[in-house]
Amino acid sequence: MIKAVIIDDERNSRDIISLMLEKYCPNVQIAATASDCAGGIETIRRHEPQLVFLDLEMPDGTGFDVLLGTQEIPPFEAVFVTAFEKKFLHTIRFSEVEIILKPIDRESLMAAVEKIASRIEAQASTYRYKVLLDNFNNGHNINMDLVIPAGGNEEHIISLNTIAFLEAGTEKCVFHLNDEQQLDAERSFRYYTDLFSTLRFFQINNHQMVQLSQISQVDAEHNRVSLKNGVKLEVAERRKKDLVSHWKQYK
Amino acid sequence: MTVNRIYLLFLFLCSSLNIFGSAPANDTLAADFSHLPSGIDLRPYLFSIEDKGEHLTLKQVPAAEFSHNYLIFHEQRKNIGKEHNCWLKLHVKNTGQSDSALTFFAGWHDYMYWYIQDSSQQLHLLRQTGMMLDRDNVRRWEHYGFPITVPPGQTRTFFLHINNKIHNENALMPTLFNALQYEGFRSSQLEFYRKETVLVQVLLGMLLVCLAIAIINYIQLPDRSYLYFAAYMLGLILFFTLRLESKPYQLSVFYRWPMLKYYWDVPALLFCFYLMYLAFGNAFLNLQERYPFMEKLFNYVAAFIGAIILLCFYCIAMEQYHVPGMIYSYVYLATLLPLLVVFAALARRSRHHPLVRFFLFGSLCFYIACFGSFIMLVKPLGLISALGELSAPSLLIIAGVLLQSMFFLAGLSYRNKLVHNERTRTQEMLIKQLNKNKELQRKLNEQLEELVKEQTTEILRKKQELEEQRKIQLETEYDKKLTEIELKAIRAQINPHFIFNCLNSIQLFVMQRDYEYAQKYLSDFSYLIRKTLDFSRRNFISLADEIAYLNTYLGLEKMRFENKMEYEIVIDPVIATAELEVPAMLLQPYVENAVKYGMTNSSQAIGRLLIQFNQVAPDMLECLIEDNGIGINRSKTLRTLPKHHQSSGMEISFNRAELLNKMYNTGIHIYVIDKSENNNTESGTIVRILIPQL
Repeated sequence: MIKAVIIDDERNSRDIISLMLEKYCPNVQIAATASDCAGGIETIRRHEPQLVFLDLEMPDGTGFDVLLGTQEIPPFEAVFVTAFEKKFLHTIRFSEVEIILKPIDRESLMAAVEKIASRIEAQASTYRYKVLLDNFNNGHNINMDLVIPAGGNEEHIISLNTIAFLEAGTEKCVFHLNDEQQLDAERSFRYYTDLFSTLRFFQINNHQMVQLSQISQVDAEHNRVSLKNGVKLEVAERRKKDLVSHWKQYK
Repeated sequence: MTVNRIYLLFLFLCSSLNIFGSAPANDTLAADFSHLPSGIDLRPYLFSIEDKGEHLTLKQVPAAEFSHNYLIFHEQRKNIGKEHNCWLKLHVKNTGQSDSALTFFAGWHDYMYWYIQDSSQQLHLLRQTGMMLDRDNVRRWEHYGFPITVPPGQTRTFFLHINNKIHNENALMPTLFNALQYEGFRSSQLEFYRKETVLVQVLLGMLLVCLAIAIINYIQLPDRSYLYFAAYMLGLILFFTLRLESKPYQLSVFYRWPMLKYYWDVPALLFCFYLMYLAFGNAFLNLQERYPFMEKLFNYVAAFIGAIILLCFYCIAMEQYHVPGMIYSYVYLATLLPLLVVFAALARRSRHHPLVRFFLFGSLCFYIACFGSFIMLVKPLGLISALGELSAPSLLIIAGVLLQSMFFLAGLSYRNKLVHNERTRTQEMLIKQLNKNKELQRKLNEQLEELVKEQTTEILRKKQELEEQRKIQLETEYDKKLTEIELKAIRAQINPHFIFNCLNSIQLFVMQRDYEYAQKYLSDFSYLIRKTLDFSRRNFISLADEIAYLNTYLGLEKMRFENKMEYEIVIDPVIATAELEVPAMLLQPYVENAVKYGMTNSSQAIGRLLIQFNQVAPDMLECLIEDNGIGINRSKTLRTLPKHHQSSGMEISFNRAELLNKMYNTGIHIYVIDKSENNNTESGTIVRILIPQL
């Protein structure tokens, strides 16, 4: 059994999480609930749960405050439950911490619980939460760290600005770093292009996305872009103009 | 010099031999003066003595030792290499009856003094004459025949002192004539020299013509080469005129200055054929531009020649007459080859230039004439004498001079022509250029006008384009802003949190099988979404609609928060809510904020929300949104989020009001008041919105 705690300021929310867990995830046992940050921290200290369902925004703080307030006790896994994630999208997604969107659907809840169960079983690292809090505090998008799931419970942690470009692999996404190291991620290329679309990245063709800061030269005549580490990539004709303007803007 | 010395030695030897071997039988010339044989050669009867250094005085002479010396006599002009000072003694005895006079002639010499010895051995000067001494006009030539009158049967002794300063001594051949014979001799001499004189005079005439042409041309076209040519001509004219001075029995011009002919002899040659020649060549060929090296060379040589001329003058003044002759010989020989080289260089340098041709032909004519004359002189005179005679004008040299002058003059004329042509061409070109310029100016003006016209239209077109562009840009900007505002309006008004939380609640009711509740919740939610979509397309809605919307919204919130909040909407009855128009969903964000922060007060179990609509003035609607939360000031300090995550809901609302005012000139004012600022016992926030009515 996994010992869990729910922290949410709306009773409706707490009720439906516990109701659904009861119904679909019998291996999770709700030890306690709390309706605000302060109460949440206290509940966690008292119960020392393995898993915490955490609302992002509460009247007296955020889910991050709860995590910050419980750093000294034994580590636990957390699942963020929120109605709208946009504000903290990159903070959470980069650290690969589980997140469930309201209204909660069965599949995502079950998948999240299953993943966490396997992590607890494997006694996997909880370094992702440190990455999460660092990202939350550092804030500035380009300085953030990125956790790359590498299959199983393996993962790589890299700094976002070391990425030269991403490439679509077969069902995987390949990260090419500026030192020409390559990392395979257990997520699709598409997932990352969506995630990075508001950052300083640009998709130059159907299967490659480059970080603008890594570009050393754009050869518009030959549809080529040279990266600072010497790699040359091809640019799709229709994306060329946008690339040049984006790059210039960035420079 | 060595040759001269040997020659002197030889002379000395001869004279000493003659002293011992002389025949005393011929001591006295005994002649019948009435019947004199024709032209008696007096050599056997003359005693002579050389007086080097002029030590002998008149008193010493009769007592001096005279001797026979044939070697001092010569029939031709002879280079003796030094000055010659000698005395001749003649004893004459008249064997005849009458005392008619005889004439003694010994040649044309520089200084001649004729003495007679009286009984007391005293010398009496009878006559003095000489080329350097006699200033008489044509009569002076009669002075060279010295009269000898001896009474019949008597003997007289005459002395002739000859002093030749010039190294080239004229013929020294003592002869005795009676009156008739002397007349014959005189007319033969006159005849002989007349030929030469005429030649010189013809030459002078031609040279004068050349000079006149040069001067006239110079006046018309002041060109330096004419001046040099004129100086060259003048020098030659003077030279040849002075040549006349030494032609016996001929008329002359400068007889009053007998020394002048010596001064203007060698210097004249140097002046004309070197100094002026070089200066003329320099100016005539325009070497400064065409051949700078040659110009420099010419100038240096000319300066050197000038110095030599001054040196010659000095030597003549010092009576060293042989020095200028030697200098001239050396100069002549030294320049023979270099001149040829210069000619070749000039010919090569400017092969096709006609002026060079004129110059070269003229120079070569004279050069060849000079050289030819020199060669011709070497044969009869020997090398040394020929060198001494270099300055003597022969027929060949005269021809050379004439040819050279002709060529130079022709060259000058050609030069004139060239200059004239050049000037004409320049003028023509100038006129052509002027015409061209005019044409160009006209064309340019036309082009410029066209260009200005074009540019003006272009500018106008550009201006118009720019204006249109600006209009378009403004419009797009405006549109963009508008959509932005609209988007902001939507975003500000429907908090996605609220939407999904509502859905979450509905889901719960469904799961709990509380279908009635779920249905009411769902229909309210649908109403709210529909209204939101509707209002977001409109800018103004009626106050009644706004109030209904707020009511539904607050009802849903109340449901979410399990009645942990209460709300009340109070409307001034004078307000016609259905007719009054307010900006769509202006109030919603403030109400949402009030709900959010109204719930945070731990001292108040239930959040109370009061919304009031008042007519504060006939055209002013007041809306008050009041909560009992912790107040805006405290809630700001409560924030724990890092700066970059802070919510901006309120700011968006303020921006919206500002934008609305800008767009519709609505003059909406929003005040946010913390209740604790007025009264410490109360807490919460009041948002006061003033909406002017149109």
